[in-house]
Amino acid sequence: MIDWLIRLFFDNYPYSLKKLFKLRSWLPLLLLPLSTAGPVQSEQLPIENLLQRSYLDDYYSNVVYGYRIVTETEKYGARYTGNSLRCSNCHLNAGRKEYGLPLNVAGMYPKWRSKNGRRNGIGLRIRECFVYSMNGIMPPEDAPEVMAVAAYISYLSHGETIGEAPAGRGVPTLPDTGYDPNPASGKAIYDQKCAACHGPNGQGIAHMPPLWGMNAYNEGAGMAGVHRAAGFIWANMPLGQERTLSHQQALDVAAYINMQIRPGDPREYKLLKLFETISWFFDR
Amino acid sequence: MALNLLADISPWRPSHSPGLNIRSELFAALIGAILVIPQGITFAYLAGLPPEYGIYTAIFVTLFASLFGTSSMLGGPNTAVAILIGIAVAPFAGRGSPLYIEYVLLLSFMVGLIQLTIWLLRGGRFFMYLSPAAITGITTGVGFILILSSLDGIFGLSSSDTHFFYHKLYFLFDDAENLVNPFSFTVGAITVVAGMIARHYITRYAILIAITVGYLCGLILMSFHSQVEMELELLGHLPINPLPVSHPPMGTDYLITGLAMLPDALIIALIGLAQSMVIVKQLRNDTDQPIQPDKEVFAQGIANLMAPFFSSFAGSGSFNRTQVNQSMHAETPLTGIVSAGIVLVLILLLGPVLTYLPMPAISGTLMLVGIGMIKTDEIKRLFNWRGELAVFTTTLFCIVFLGLQTGLVVALILSVLLFVISASSLELIVEREAVSVKIRVEGHLFYASIDQLSQILKKHRRENVILDLSVVTYLDLSATEAIAKELAKRNNESTFFAVKLSSERLQNQFEARMAGQPVQFIQYNHTY
Ligand code: HEC
Ligand code: HEC
Repeated sequence: MIDWLIRLFFDNYPYSLKKLFKLRSWLPLLLLPLSTAGPVQSEQLPIENLLQRSYLDDYYSNVVYGYRIVTETEKYGARYTGNSLRCSNCHLNAGRKEYGLPLNVAGMYPKWRSKNGRRNGIGLRIRECFVYSMNGIMPPEDAPEVMAVAAYISYLSHGETIGEAPAGRGVPTLPDTGYDPNPASGKAIYDQKCAACHGPNGQGIAHMPPLWGMNAYNEGAGMAGVHRAAGFIWANMPLGQERTLSHQQALDVAAYINMQIRPGDPREYKLLKLFETISWFFDR
Repeated sequence: MALNLLADISPWRPSHSPGLNIRSELFAALIGAILVIPQGITFAYLAGLPPEYGIYTAIFVTLFASLFGTSSMLGGPNTAVAILIGIAVAPFAGRGSPLYIEYVLLLSFMVGLIQLTIWLLRGGRFFMYLSPAAITGITTGVGFILILSSLDGIFGLSSSDTHFFYHKLYFLFDDAENLVNPFSFTVGAITVVAGMIARHYITRYAILIAITVGYLCGLILMSFHSQVEMELELLGHLPINPLPVSHPPMGTDYLITGLAMLPDALIIALIGLAQSMVIVKQLRNDTDQPIQPDKEVFAQGIANLMAPFFSSFAGSGSFNRTQVNQSMHAETPLTGIVSAGIVLVLILLLGPVLTYLPMPAISGTLMLVGIGMIKTDEIKRLFNWRGELAVFTTTLFCIVFLGLQTGLVVALILSVLLFVISASSLELIVEREAVSVKIRVEGHLFYASIDQLSQILKKHRRENVILDLSVVTYLDLSATEAIAKELAKRNNESTFFAVKLSSERLQNQFEARMAGQPVQFIQYNHTY
């Protein structure tokens, strides 16, 4: 109970004693006997538990919001997305699958990057996935959506060692097969093993994400790199029969997919990009 | 009384407004809808909510306020209310997060409840006491806050954590090259300049022109640089849902926060009504609309009470849109009702285009609105009245340095004070006539003001006195008693005391109190 009280005071009102004299600081005290559910305790609760709660404090409500953005991006992250993918289409099992681009990586940031010569926090990675993987627009760094996904990522990273890459980070790096990726044999593999779910033209079918076309990730996305895509496909696809493709097959099919038409890289197309998205929006 | 209340609840019907001119109403509705869209988006930003909530507010709060209203006043998102919502909820959750939104809905619901309580108590008329000087002080202060909060967006500062404006200005000048985003600044500055120029020619649509110019400027920039490298903040897709049902959160956990927000809800309720009542007062003076102030209070209350059920936040009457409305000869609530529908249609059409609206353009319009709220000619006029000037400067000072809430409370208190002081001060004109002293009194004679008169009477105790109360319409018990007491102390043998009253009723009342003291009455209808 004492612990409860202290948390109530100091979690919500960290600033100063001055606040103690404000009405809103002591009013809640009068109501202590009325309230039933206490704030969430410090041990990590599974997300499914959190989802069932009727009331969450600011941190956990943000975590849940982040989870919803990752799993139902078209609904909760709609403001900045430009295609029909969800974060969890690539960050499998809502970012909790090893070698399925897991999101328990909070301890790896901030990190220096040669791309812009600056140290970047996790926020930039999130924003970039909005621009490229989701083919959307860049959210500002303090957008509520970005904050929420960042909170979800820290929540997932509970228990990881800070500064050390978590087991199964990203996608596996495939060993050099000695052959160049061959899109022609990739097409054959695609038709045989992937088209059932992702559609004969890569457009996706109900509940299956598209792989190319104007509704897929754009040319600037991480998945647009053949080697990274191949690693992802090898470790996770075809869904349910992961790691059944050979390394070379994964490379071939990745090359095939990434040869297809898809939205351009926003850094190169600029205004064109804009009209492209507007017309896409009207078509939808 | 009960009948009165029932009449207030009934929604507007065309029969309530004789002389309804459908064509001008519809045209005004269209213009109102176009004007409210940028306002909705900007004020949602001020309140810390996603833009679509501002649009919903522009639709539903406007709709309900007009549906139950009696005038052409347009309700909807409002600057001061939006800023106050932002201040009130910020301590409890991160801006824009789901929890934050729930708290805003709860707060709006509370505001609606408080306003309905004020309506039940017939409290609307008390807002007439808010002194115009205090209102000028508040609008000037809010304008100042708007200008400052627009700086963040125009310079492309990311979540500035400075609380005081001089802090912010200092940082801006000190570290300009690192902080300022040149692209944001270009868009923001061009928007403001376009608005300032447009204001000279077509004042009414200045904001609209400014935001269009800002939008085009953004497009031009985007055809040279990508949004990613410019880090230019864009509005983004508006997930508009024609029927965005929601509800204020309930439960004990929310009750605690709700109670903690109660003082804020009270201030928001009062300031919302105060603004609406000022508009209502103006409309009553300037037009022949069949306005019922109490019904307007109900309309505001019910609109805010319904707001959280349609993903909207609290609002109030809007000065500038009502003015535009008036200039278009719209005279009935029909304008507001239709305009709500037009907003919905427009936003569904415009949505995809608005996605690329640069946020600095929105901040630019905020600055324009802020500049527009600082009315120099009104402030200059105040300089002739010491009391009013004091109220104005104190209010402004408090808003700027101590925060909007403090400033509003101070403005309310000062208004009451100013009223009490002016009501209790007497105008006393002492004229020496041939055989007597004539004391002419103007003002209300009651317990607070009687002392002034007593002092004068005391001074002329040894002389003949004619007390001229012919323009005094209010005379209370303690005032008559004080005069009677003074009479008893006079030398009644050698001097006489005559009173002139304004009506027979007062004279009878007066006589009864004098209890046999020698008083002569000068006929109340007698003229010199
Ligand atoms: C098309 C597939 C795809 C989608 C959809 C996608 N991402 Fe990614 N994401 C990737 C890939 C591939 C990487 C690894 C890129 C790299 O290492 O450069 C990545 C990396 C990340 C990282 C950094 C992970 C690390 O290991 O450091 C974060 C954070 C992230 N994404 C967040 C998101 C969020 C949030 C969304 C949804 C808005 C999203 N992603 C949607 C493919 C995707
Ligand atoms: C059983 C159906 C199924 C099959 C077969 C399948 N996938 Fe997928 N794939 C999915 C689903 C479902 C997802 C999204 C994962 C999620 O949401 O959990 C996905 C996601 C992907 C993604 C990342 C998301 C995107 O849209 O870019 C790629 C790339 C991908 N699959 C490639 C392949 C390739 C290549 C094959 C064939 C070797 C394949 N898939 C076979 C169901 C399938």
